[in-house]
Amino acid sequence: MIMERARFSYLHAVALQLAVCAALLPLRTIAADAVNLEGTWRIAAPQSSFKPEGGPVPFTAEGRKRYQQNKRAQAKGDFDDYDYATSRCASPGLPRLMLTAGRLRVWQRPGIVTIRFETNRLFRQIDMGGLMPQTSGNGPGGTDEAALVGRAIPISKGKWEGNTLVVTTGGFPDNTLVDDLVPHGYDMKLTERIRLRDQDTLEDRITIEDPEFFTKPWQTVVSYKRQPDEIFPESVCLDRLKLDHWPPSRKGR
Amino acid sequence: MDRQAIRSAGSKFAVIALLVCMGSALAQQIPGGRGRAGGPPGGPPVAGIPQAGGGDLPTENTDDSAEMRARRAAGLATGGVPPLPDNAPQPSPDPRNFEGTWYHADSLVTFIARDMFGIPLPYTPEGRKVTKRRADGIKNGTPYVNASAYCIPVGQFWQFDLNMPFQIFQSKDMVELQFQEFHGLISIALDPAKAPPPGYMGSSVGHWDGNTLVVETSGFKEGLWLTTRGSSMSRDAKLTQRIRKMTTGGKWYLEVIYTVDDPTYYTQAWSFARRYAWRPDMTLFKEYNCELSTGAEGGVDPSLVPEPAD
Repeated sequence: MIMERARFSYLHAVALQLAVCAALLPLRTIAADAVNLEGTWRIAAPQSSFKPEGGPVPFTAEGRKRYQQNKRAQAKGDFDDYDYATSRCASPGLPRLMLTAGRLRVWQRPGIVTIRFETNRLFRQIDMGGLMPQTSGNGPGGTDEAALVGRAIPISKGKWEGNTLVVTTGGFPDNTLVDDLVPHGYDMKLTERIRLRDQDTLEDRITIEDPEFFTKPWQTVVSYKRQPDEIFPESVCLDRLKLDHWPPSRKGR
Repeated sequence: MDRQAIRSAGSKFAVIALLVCMGSALAQQIPGGRGRAGGPPGGPPVAGIPQAGGGDLPTENTDDSAEMRARRAAGLATGGVPPLPDNAPQPSPDPRNFEGTWYHADSLVTFIARDMFGIPLPYTPEGRKVTKRRADGIKNGTPYVNASAYCIPVGQFWQFDLNMPFQIFQSKDMVELQFQEFHGLISIALDPAKAPPPGYMGSSVGHWDGNTLVVETSGFKEGLWLTTRGSSMSRDAKLTQRIRKMTTGGKWYLEVIYTVDDPTYYTQAWSFARRYAWRPDMTLFKEYNCELSTGAEGGVDPSLVPEPAD
């Protein structure tokens, strides 16, 4: 009996020690209700435009006018008139980035989900809450200048609703596009519902709102298939442009 | 099992558990490479090696901008960020887990005149020519265009060292360093068979030496500007980074010892050490969409001069 108590006592002490140790680790754990979305993914059906559910994009008059202007510019190859991602390699912004033909990698960490895109080394951050207050203007909404002019890829807010990661994003500039043609303004708001349809299929259901350009919110769904976890080759979009002093490569250096 | 045996086993297990939990940093060793005259690369200063720099190159190796000079003169901090509060989240206790957000902890270096032992860099004639040309261009108000001006990947040292944070992600097969600046990326394969193809940032393969991640990079698409005032590395170089997590005075750092082995520009390998501080308060990055400007027609600053081919 005494021995049993002693065994209990010391095992208890060890357990207590491990508990103290474990207390140092919560930063490395993810919320219990989170689904593991980590991995490497590629869009299942490459496309340059979103396919709206339940009918065409519900343009306002202004939205339709801008859309038609963009179509005409595209036909003439005047990309710098409306599409800096194509003409300059500028960030395509959200939600267009989710149409990228390259792979994407999800890193899911406490307080933050990062999606890394193979295309041009771009990434987006989803603030899941619980991060310590951010300094140097790196907080949600970004810097003061970002609050004024928006970001092509704003920092999103995320939360879990069951098995679905619900991500909301606002604070855009007006010089990016929804996809390759559809315009938006400063007031666009995105709501994404991201889930695993099965272990090898990631689904992003995107709701797009912008009263200046759309008469009502509209939805589209994009699916991604799981890929082997491999390092992405370095992607430098600017290499395909012919700029002043370009290309930088010269022999001997 | 008697009571004493239980006590002994329990105590040993507790000690082991604590050690596993807390981890321990192992001594850092400098990588090998081509030998330095009078001593191994990265070894201590050797008597007889001149301590003065070449007179035609800059000797100042810290940020000498007007702002930094004014801050130093006023006795103000030059790091530009406040200290972390005591209750800030801590990094993983696993010494091989570097995940999290980091930001340079030392003063910005704009020109590397000496290695980490204070020895002047051992230029070849070609290395001195290129470095002097770059330094003179800036001094004369006719700076050369470089990767930064183009908004293409700028190379390891520059990418790590400017005043912007980076994050590290790790898996069993790879380590990724995601930088705010230039939305830069360094991908390190932990299996040589899965090394990425060459690129502006080279091709990096890593392995563990104790708790130090040794990253060997070659296959650079371009020669690099290591610093903003033109410290140079040729495209033929092999760059080794020895990265370890350490704590000093209750503060966490990544220590990176860079060794440049570049027979085109340097007669011997040389090493340079930098520290990067744990900054969980910089996890959410600012946007760096520089292509919007540099990708425009005439978007590269026309006052920058194309660098001659050699």
